Amino acid sequence: MQLTIGKIANLAHVSADTLRYYERERLIKPAAKSAGGYRLYERDALRRIRFIKQAQECGFNLAEIRSLLALRASDAACCRDVRHVALEKKLQLEAKIKAMKAMSDALSRLIKECSVDSESLDDCPILAALERSNGVKRRSR
Amino acid sequence: MKVELFYTPGCEKCADARDDLKAAAEQTIPGIVWRELNALDELDYAVKLGVVTLPALAIDGELVFSTLPTSGQLRRALTKRKKG
Repeated sequence: MQLTIGKIANLAHVSADTLRYYERERLIKPAAKSAGGYRLYERDALRRIRFIKQAQECGFNLAEIRSLLALRASDAACCRDVRHVALEKKLQLEAKIKAMKAMSDALSRLIKECSVDSESLDDCPILAALERSNGVKRRSR
Repeated sequence: MKVELFYTPGCEKCADARDDLKAAAEQTIPGIVWRELNALDELDYAVKLGVVTLPALAIDGELVFSTLPTSGQLRRALTKRKKG
């Protein structure tokens, strides 16, 4: 039995707009169109949509998901190919976490420096530190 | 001097190139330390060096190649580093 876009979107817990977006990104395509021009999907498309959602939650972008779907469909590919992609993605995520942690630590240091609530903006140590890091001297008002 | 090759287990590309690269490194710098690191086991160290693609190659703890170099590229990088 074929499913309309509304029905399959509902089953996959995504919006119909999301499915149209996936289609534009060449991640899914309807099996057919009805006489009235409505998209119709095979039930198997549900697995594909769930795969895409899960991969997005793991941090893969749509281009990477397209590659994963191609690997999934390839007879020549095997599990280690997918593991390689997953490991590179993990390295990228860990690098981002490291960079964000450094940013968070830098903000902690600045927040600690700013202990007086009523100081004027000209004396604000956070603004001063941010400007120092750009090599810009603050103008007095 | 030390060369570290980060690889994914089962990576055929790494296995094919490894022997040539190792030989090139040993010819260029006799006594060079050659380490092969499974990125799965050495994830923290790989992140520390900035490895985000595999295979990758570091020299003396610095990521120098984010894809496998040719033997010639590795030789040149080692020679340049040796000269300081």
